[in-house]
Amino acid sequence: MKINKMLSPRRLAAVAGILGVAFLAGCATNAPQDTWQPKGPNAEKIDNLNWLVFPIAGVVGVIVIGLILYILMRFRDRGQPIPKQTHGKPALEITLTIIPALILSVVGVFTFRAIFELAEDQDTEMIINVTGQQWWWEYDYPIQEQYGITQPIITSGQMVMPAGTKVILRETSRDVIHSFWVPALNGKKDAVPGRIHLLRMEADEPGIYAGQCAEFCGLSHANMRMEVIALSKEDFAAWVQNQLADYKAPATDTLAKQGEEVFLNQCVRCHQVNGLKRADGTPAIAAPEDNVHSGAAPNLTKFMTRNTFAGAMFDLVNNKCRADVWGASATEFGAKYLTGVTEECLNTTKLRAWLRNAPAVKPMYANPEKLEPTEGKYRGMPNLNLTEDDIDKLVAYLLTLR
Amino acid sequence: MAIIERPETTPAVPGGPSVPATVTPASSLGALKRPVTTTGWKSWLFTVDHKKIGIIYGVIGMFFLVVGGVEALLIRLQLASAEGKVLNASVYNQMFTMHGTTMVFLFSMPMANAFANYFLPLQLGARDVAFPRMNALAVWLTLTGGIILNLAWFLGGAADGGWFMYAPNSGPIFSPSNGVDFWVIGLQIAGIGSLIGSINLIVTVLNMRAPGLSLMKMPVFSWMMLVVQFLLVFSLPVITVALTLLMFQRGFGATFFDVAQGADPLLWQHLFWIFGHPEVYILVLPAFGIISEVLPTFSRKPLFGYPFVVFSGAAIGLVGFGVWAHHMFASGLGPVSVAVFSIATMAIAIPTGVKIFNWTLTMWGGKIWFATPMKFAIGLVVLFTFGGLSGVTHSVAPSDTQQTDTYYIVAHFHYVLFGGMVFGLFSGLYYWWPKVFGKRLNERLGSWNFWLMFIGMNMTFGPMHILGLQGQPRRMYQWTENRAGEGFFDLGFWNMIASVGSFVLAIGILFFFINMVWTTKKEPKSSLDPWDARTLEWITSNPPKEHNFDRIPTVSHLDEFFHRKYQEDHATESMTPIKTAEEILAEEEANADAHIHLPSPSYWPLVLAVGIGVLGLGVIYGVPTMIIGGSIVLVAIFGWVLEPSVAEDFDYEGTSHDDGPSKELTTHG
Repeated sequence: MKINKMLSPRRLAAVAGILGVAFLAGCATNAPQDTWQPKGPNAEKIDNLNWLVFPIAGVVGVIVIGLILYILMRFRDRGQPIPKQTHGKPALEITLTIIPALILSVVGVFTFRAIFELAEDQDTEMIINVTGQQWWWEYDYPIQEQYGITQPIITSGQMVMPAGTKVILRETSRDVIHSFWVPALNGKKDAVPGRIHLLRMEADEPGIYAGQCAEFCGLSHANMRMEVIALSKEDFAAWVQNQLADYKAPATDTLAKQGEEVFLNQCVRCHQVNGLKRADGTPAIAAPEDNVHSGAAPNLTKFMTRNTFAGAMFDLVNNKCRADVWGASATEFGAKYLTGVTEECLNTTKLRAWLRNAPAVKPMYANPEKLEPTEGKYRGMPNLNLTEDDIDKLVAYLLTLR
Repeated sequence: MAIIERPETTPAVPGGPSVPATVTPASSLGALKRPVTTTGWKSWLFTVDHKKIGIIYGVIGMFFLVVGGVEALLIRLQLASAEGKVLNASVYNQMFTMHGTTMVFLFSMPMANAFANYFLPLQLGARDVAFPRMNALAVWLTLTGGIILNLAWFLGGAADGGWFMYAPNSGPIFSPSNGVDFWVIGLQIAGIGSLIGSINLIVTVLNMRAPGLSLMKMPVFSWMMLVVQFLLVFSLPVITVALTLLMFQRGFGATFFDVAQGADPLLWQHLFWIFGHPEVYILVLPAFGIISEVLPTFSRKPLFGYPFVVFSGAAIGLVGFGVWAHHMFASGLGPVSVAVFSIATMAIAIPTGVKIFNWTLTMWGGKIWFATPMKFAIGLVVLFTFGGLSGVTHSVAPSDTQQTDTYYIVAHFHYVLFGGMVFGLFSGLYYWWPKVFGKRLNERLGSWNFWLMFIGMNMTFGPMHILGLQGQPRRMYQWTENRAGEGFFDLGFWNMIASVGSFVLAIGILFFFINMVWTTKKEPKSSLDPWDARTLEWITSNPPKEHNFDRIPTVSHLDEFFHRKYQEDHATESMTPIKTAEEILAEEEANADAHIHLPSPSYWPLVLAVGIGVLGLGVIYGVPTMIIGGSIVLVAIFGWVLEPSVAEDFDYEGTSHDDGPSKELTTHG
């Protein structure tokens, strides 16, 4: 039987070779969640293991495929008689069983060691509690005087931490299973309701490191993102100080002051802003447990010190400012990040769209009438039917939360 | 010539065909006579013949291949560009859930059963499986399960929790529509079918082999199917338990996965994956079995290292039960468990590698004929090697914490499942098509089929390695430019290539269907032994007679058929042909058994399957439906039990029907 000349094994080998090389060269540059660009010691440990295993797999693959292509060329039917009916060679087969076993034993030893090193928690220098819920991440910094954290700090979306510090995340969930994954810094660890899982997190240098929820968690799983912000020790202390600074009410008779009223009418049902007071002077305490199924909504204290929102789905900064911050070098990054979101940098379009009709831009079950099982509580932010005027006021107010 | 016992009269014309006797009916059963007709749609609906059942499984499988394939194409259309608008989040989540569920349970398993049902008895020299009516029940339960699973699309939305359906997302609060309920019931019912089938096939293999056919002379396909049936027997009950717990949680307020009541969501994961990992070997071992027949046939030499291949298959089956938590490396198991499962997963790479070496060495020194079945078989060896090697990279648990839940995993399992299992199935389709349908599928169309599938597959799933390693997670209804990196080869580029590739792949599969139609219309009948094959199923006509073998063959060699055709001269190491296939078949026919008993068709398997389906729907729709379903089930069970396995004489009255009795049954030799 003649084989199709166009697809002869020799040509195939050439094509496969060219494609293989192109493939290996054809990677994205600066992919923010690239698992082969470690930026912290934990990710580096994993990267070292990768560089052991992947080349071995690659070499084995090339040998096997090469052998097959050779066989197809050498032993194709050229009219030779029916070949010798070899049934096997036990010695060869045993050898070919032992060789992979030996290779894998070596890999196994290195793997074993890395598993236990990555599970180490006795050298922890800082703790952050991480809670996942549909579809955003909450960060809760317990009191740690050595970092200036004299009261708990609660933020969401972007997790700020000091660079070069052995941080441990204590992860859990308020609803379904999520997974915290910032590839540049470490592998992922699931956030499971009813359990607490530990994940080491350490960045070598200041910078912004992208991440994403990595366990299917429902409608907006694709939109549940986060970033880790690593700051130098001094910058981190400044950040902490700012987060704990007193609330600055907007000046009377400003648009922002009117926005504060709108906030007190609408937003404070779910969103906490520390130090915010009602007109009568009582502190405005948010009650998300009454209104949202997961029982929590992002804490918006110092909102404009972050540059993403809505579960890090949207940029709070416009494209130009984003490029500035994300592209900053390690030495400049801290100062740029600590500037926060100014009025010039605000991504007005995205923020207004969110305030106008959140479920329209992020799929959530925000209609309580469709949610019998949640006893009428929202899942995610509902459409508040705000007027454009209200939105103007709110935006002005939110800009003061710095 | 074989005589199958049916009531007959002597021929009106001497030497002519007999006519079934008109017998005075013992009682007027009227419509409840058994469906003994041998032609027409009734002969398919009520059949207990393993060959017809095999074809029915094949039709079910190929139908759901198209359904699952369309679901995949819609997914790739949505992911071809950033923030695609083809499918919204809700529909997308249903789409990927049903794509996975359909491909695993409604395409792969039925196709494996198609081959197992058709060819196990033939390879073993038997006339049918051990329990023919149970066999029919199994296929109709599979279809019932498939229908119920897909009914959800039309009744409020399909299941949307992923094919792995993790708790608590699968519970009533987070998945309020009925989709998950249909998923649970559909899978339970299909699972009953699989379990029944597995017991049936184990008994068949252990008890019904031809004289002289010891276990170590069985073809490798039979061996792999035997291992698969044992995997099914031990893994299906685990998912049955998991599905039952979920069903009670969703339907009756149980709290098995309710965290507020103290449940641990990881319970579901363990139960699912203790089934789920053996399941992937259930999916791939049949394909391994098929190419273990094809590679030797088209290399013209025996499988290299038959005992090693058999034992490695059994080893994979056994160790396959010890690696499930490698799907849970990021789930918070703790380093000790993770280490154990990591090492175990590396261990299972060894028997798998053995098979690759043995297949490769089978071809070494051979006389390789690149017919379409062989192209697919070689394709499997190449593509499974890739998939297996990426699997080895997952076994390194710390690396896996970066890889899991990304497109790198999607790449891995599609290489082993598509490149492995599907290519093996297509190899089997092309190889055995002349046996089943009497014609060889067209070679030229087959070549187009193969190359388009090979190129399409690599174009679709190759880039997914890059997508995953560069940070794109799975199960996302959209991806964004923000996370796609920069440069020409950014993640958007590779997403687009994968999407284009999926359409090339679809066209490749379309070529198979084109080939099917073309062959039926235009190809000539095939010779008896078109491939110079090696195993027992080829000592039958094309297609085999209803009773398979006129005389049950006596076996004295592995590759018995090949040894009857060729004499090996050890001195000159040459093979001399001594008999043709036609001669061997004629010899068997000349020594036909005097009496052959075959089981008769029956209504009850189909009725019971329908009853179980209605009963299942009752779990969703309420007690009245359950009562109707339960009644049908009871009637069917009693009807079945009280019915003898061979039809009574009075069932034949009035069946000398327009199609006539088939000639072979009543002609005297």
